[in-house]
Amino acid sequence: MHPHLQNIAIIAYVCAMGLALAHLVQRQALVHRLALLATLVGWIAHTLALVVLAIEIGGPPLGTLPHAVSVVVWVVVLLEMLVERQSGVTVLGAFVMPVVVVLSLRSSVARPATLAPVLGNAWIWIHIALALVGIAAFVLNFAGAIMYLLQERQIRHKRPGRFYHRLPPLQTLDRWTYRTLALGFPFLTTGLILGAVWARTAWGSVFAFDPLAFFSLVAWVIYAGTLAGRAAGGWHGRRAAYFAIIGFAALVVTLGAGLFLPGRHGA
Amino acid sequence: MPLFAAGISHKNAPLALREQLAADEDKVREILRDLVGGGTLREAVILSTCNRVEVYGVADVPGEARAIAFRHLCRQRGVQSASVEGLLYTHAEEEAIRHAFRVAASLDSMMIGEPQILGQVKDAFALAQGCEAVGPALHTLFTQAFAVAKRVRTETEIARHAVSVSFAAVELAKKIFAKLAGRAVLLLGAGKMSELAAKHLVEQGAFPIYVVNRTWARAQELARALSGTAVPFEEMGTALAAVDIVITSTGAPAAIVTRDMVARVVRGRGTRPLFFIDIAVPRDVEPGVDALPGVYRYDIDDLQQVVDANIRERLREAQRAEALVEREVAKFRARLGDVEVIPTIVSLRERLEEIRAGEVRKTLARLPDASPETRDALEALSAGIVNKILHAPITKLRESSRAGAHRSWLALVHELFGLGRRS
Repeated sequence: MHPHLQNIAIIAYVCAMGLALAHLVQRQALVHRLALLATLVGWIAHTLALVVLAIEIGGPPLGTLPHAVSVVVWVVVLLEMLVERQSGVTVLGAFVMPVVVVLSLRSSVARPATLAPVLGNAWIWIHIALALVGIAAFVLNFAGAIMYLLQERQIRHKRPGRFYHRLPPLQTLDRWTYRTLALGFPFLTTGLILGAVWARTAWGSVFAFDPLAFFSLVAWVIYAGTLAGRAAGGWHGRRAAYFAIIGFAALVVTLGAGLFLPGRHGA
Repeated sequence: MPLFAAGISHKNAPLALREQLAADEDKVREILRDLVGGGTLREAVILSTCNRVEVYGVADVPGEARAIAFRHLCRQRGVQSASVEGLLYTHAEEEAIRHAFRVAASLDSMMIGEPQILGQVKDAFALAQGCEAVGPALHTLFTQAFAVAKRVRTETEIARHAVSVSFAAVELAKKIFAKLAGRAVLLLGAGKMSELAAKHLVEQGAFPIYVVNRTWARAQELARALSGTAVPFEEMGTALAAVDIVITSTGAPAAIVTRDMVARVVRGRGTRPLFFIDIAVPRDVEPGVDALPGVYRYDIDDLQQVVDANIRERLREAQRAEALVEREVAKFRARLGDVEVIPTIVSLRERLEEIRAGEVRKTLARLPDASPETRDALEALSAGIVNKILHAPITKLRESSRAGAHRSWLALVHELFGLGRRS
């Protein structure tokens, strides 16, 4: 049951991505409505898939990394729909859905690993949940940074092109990337600390042979630097946007490492 | 219902002729009363703007009606009607519907998407209504034209992007700043175009406004007009540090806002962008400033480039609008057909019901002992026969109206069933 629902959700997300990108270029209100519909259908199928999965395994579907990534996707899609509705930025889907699709495909092709028996402590769930909310915020952070760079490029080069009228103002996008960074960072930090503390008690070492832990620390350092730069150094605009993209790249590598390399996080 | 639209517009007639034909409201009223009162036209609307003079009408002989209408229009300024006749375009039936929709939707305008035309068409319609020159046909046509125009405006972007330099500047400001309300503006120089741009910004809530000008009196005058503050020329640097948008239009021979000045100001600004709109020629702001972080500078050529891009965008959107109008025309024609066949269907039913009821009455008079059951059976039998007979012709009428070929069928049905002359 779960794989079928999961597949329906992924197909719907792929459709939503295609439609959202078409809307970015075509600007048909109908295309946008269809994209929203596909997103919603995908999200509902995804919700059911997660519920079924939770019943099957008798607990929250966070135990393996592919499942956890699937939950991240679920949170991101929910946030995307809410933010789009609230802010009226109808092009948001075109920037978020590709990330959603990449993450869902990754989580679905990775071999579902059996959970290490040490997992079971309540702390570990909090570690995972916090890290996931952080990652979800950084997906939106990444989308905002891409939109900022596109819009800033058009305005700076004095060639308002296709997306000029569609994208929100620069200042709004800049604030957006700041807020999502400020939101995601504490979650990621607490999630990492809990993970480290837990790893120490379980394995006696913080980074014992785990690629995910290593790369997530790299991502954390990048985000910490960006946040410090923004808060204290007055960074904004293009520089902040570049760092948002680098940070997200590190995060993607992290998840990739967790999904495909052997280590404590499964696979 | 022979519907037509005839006239001249910026597309085929020179301005000189258009202004001679353009009629003021009183004149239009007079002509409408003559035309409709005199029986030349059954219904009429006259649209007279600086870009077009058109008559929309319903007449039994459209050619004649058109000639008389324009003879009236020519007479007011002594224009030879022969010189107009050759230029007139005439659209009949479906073409007239399409034309009305396109004009109201601003697709036939000189600047596609310009917003005034819809108001002008509405005024012309209201004027004709006031003269009792509007009947059911033009009423349906124009109400639908307004609806189509609204759809075009909301569903396409033909009217959305700025096509003047001052509006393009405001649009840019909106794409840089999250909101214009509370953005401080500095006017350097007091040119007409910069005043216009500043006015647009003030309308969007920009505040406060500072005005710097070599001539103190002119600075004060402009500051008053914009509810702003005049600032002495020497304090330009201080003012620069306090604002978000700078509009320059001085007659200075060289740049008065230098890169160094702006670099000093930018350091203290934090994340707030700074936007220069330089309308002056030669330019007032050194082009190098836009290499500074968070500083955007548009000169008159840049703005013109934005306007050109927006116009191209409007033309692209116009293609979509045309497709929308086309669909609406088809829908409207089908509805119009239905409107025309419905009275015939109703009178056909009434006619047969009359016959049926009469015959039943006669038969029952000859059967005084008939039981209630027999009476009911008679009623049911006759009603059943009538309905069976009517089924085919009514279906045929509806089908033909959808295909737009109902005229001859209507005539035939009237003739066959003796329904009398249709209105």
